[in-house]
Amino acid sequence: MSADLAVRTEDLGMVYPGGVRALSGVDLEVREGEFLAILGLSGSGKSTLLRCMNRLIDPTEGRVWIFGEEITAASGGSLRRLRRQVAMIFQQFNLVRRQTVLTNVLSGALGRSRLLPSLVLSFAQSERERAVASLGRVGLDDRAGSRADALSGGQQQRVAVARALMQEPRLILADEPVASLDPALRHSVMRHIEALNREEGLTVICSLHDIDLVERYATRLVALRDGKVAWGGRPEEFDRDTFREIYGEEAEPTSNSGF
Amino acid sequence: MGDGREITPGAVGWRKNLSRLQAVGIDAALITMLILMGELLVVAFSGRRGDTGLLLSAEQILDLLHYAWALFAGLGLALVWNLFYRLLGASPGRALVSGVPEWERDLEWTHTLRGWFVAVFIELTFFAGWLITELQLVTFLTKFGKAADIVRGLMHPSSSVLHEGLVLLVQTIFLAFMATAFAIPVAFVLAFPSARNLTRGSAVARLAYIVSRTLMNFVRAVEPLVWALIFITWVGIGPFAGVLALWVHSVAALTKLYSEQIESIDTGPMDAITATGASTLQVLRYGVVPQVIPPFLSFTIYRWDINVRMSTIIGFVGGGGIGYILKPRVDLGEWGEVGTLVLLIAGTVWMMDIISAKIRERIV
Repeated sequence: MSADLAVRTEDLGMVYPGGVRALSGVDLEVREGEFLAILGLSGSGKSTLLRCMNRLIDPTEGRVWIFGEEITAASGGSLRRLRRQVAMIFQQFNLVRRQTVLTNVLSGALGRSRLLPSLVLSFAQSERERAVASLGRVGLDDRAGSRADALSGGQQQRVAVARALMQEPRLILADEPVASLDPALRHSVMRHIEALNREEGLTVICSLHDIDLVERYATRLVALRDGKVAWGGRPEEFDRDTFREIYGEEAEPTSNSGF
Repeated sequence: MGDGREITPGAVGWRKNLSRLQAVGIDAALITMLILMGELLVVAFSGRRGDTGLLLSAEQILDLLHYAWALFAGLGLALVWNLFYRLLGASPGRALVSGVPEWERDLEWTHTLRGWFVAVFIELTFFAGWLITELQLVTFLTKFGKAADIVRGLMHPSSSVLHEGLVLLVQTIFLAFMATAFAIPVAFVLAFPSARNLTRGSAVARLAYIVSRTLMNFVRAVEPLVWALIFITWVGIGPFAGVLALWVHSVAALTKLYSEQIESIDTGPMDAITATGASTLQVLRYGVVPQVIPPFLSFTIYRWDINVRMSTIIGFVGGGGIGYILKPRVDLGEWGEVGTLVLLIAGTVWMMDIISAKIRERIV
């Protein structure tokens, strides 16, 4: 296995306790620095695939390597150490609504913080400065003291990007990061994720269901259907005919509201 | 989706057998109860007399019933009904466990055996309940005279116990406060292992869940009055025993309320904190605690309110507080003094109720 792989999966499969199969036989290699988009209808396994990569879900079959270390074999401290290199951005933002924006961003540093001080919300001055700087990167440093739920959806997702940045990761997993946002606000969040990829050289794996966004931001595309990889290649090679071939005549690629 | 959603056949077969067993069990219990209630009514209205020549009392009749036979018959009939459910229609147990089958949904209840069974069952429950609890409407409506003394006394509170009453009222409020305050940290810690959504991870977590749930259910099932009797024997008569009794009960009650609150949180923030590489304690501190603090405060104030009311009863058996001087006056029939104490308690409870409602309104 070459050293510059950010993620490698081998025969990855997931069957949920109820018996529903969400993934089967997914073999994937993601090189460092790539912006990989994962396309698929809802229920095609995009979310499950991303969550298997940082073990928010334990896959039932197959193995996953993160920067050459097998995360599916890690546990306890070594699992947490691997997770520190992998930040995640969620469709529903998943901020702690009752806490301030700054505390939410600071929580990105928990993986490297000492346990006892962190339990009383005490962080080093350098971390606080870094958190304010991260907020500055997404243009929200003036909202550091606001409660998270006082912000609009687009602002909340930018706080989540700042939290991811705070983590100082090498890889970002973004699970439908703009699906809950007003179409007009999508680029404001996507551009920040793109900046992390272009300027910081972070690897990004981002599930999307909007083919325009895929073409605009991704360097490579993988399309999922029924939990299997149905197509892989460069986004510009993925045209409407390929789309219909994979998802059937009924599905129609759209630019604003998903399939 | 198609092939993506398949269910393992082994699990289904096992579940089906279990639900059949459950259906027969429920039916057997229901039919047995129906038979027993029927027998109770037949004996009661048969005019049978006991040794003293009087009509049999409900207790005497309950002694005469053929329990083993009824259970035997109930089990047999339940089996028959479940075996021939196509002919007889779904039994109540089957309908409860697996739902009413498709072809019976549009039938009026009068057209199904199950409908008649349920109707007769409800009728019999009321008749049997009437007999067993010895309801006597006539007495209730005609014999008010004796109780009128008490009501008159309550209407004319005497000032002789006012001072003592006020002192013990303060004791009551603090008794409830101490019990609640000391219950908070214990319940807070126990709430996490008692929450289903936090304890799915490992075998140890599942065991912790079962142990703490079982323990708390047991503690909560025992009335505070019984706890008071235990602690009075332990530390002697007085408010300290009352504090301990209410404390034990509050820990169990708050643990249940807290853990249910934890079970209803949004798990999104937990996922987000977990993904940063945080440890379990940090995930709880950042992903769970901020979400549950306001409802916890609300429950806790409500609990204090309940404890003030309960401490009156605890006082009856010697657990301190105002109930301690109320009991002897009730026994002696000093209704004027009882009236004073009851008014003091009612006023306090009323005020606590208003204050706690206001605070909870502000928090949530």
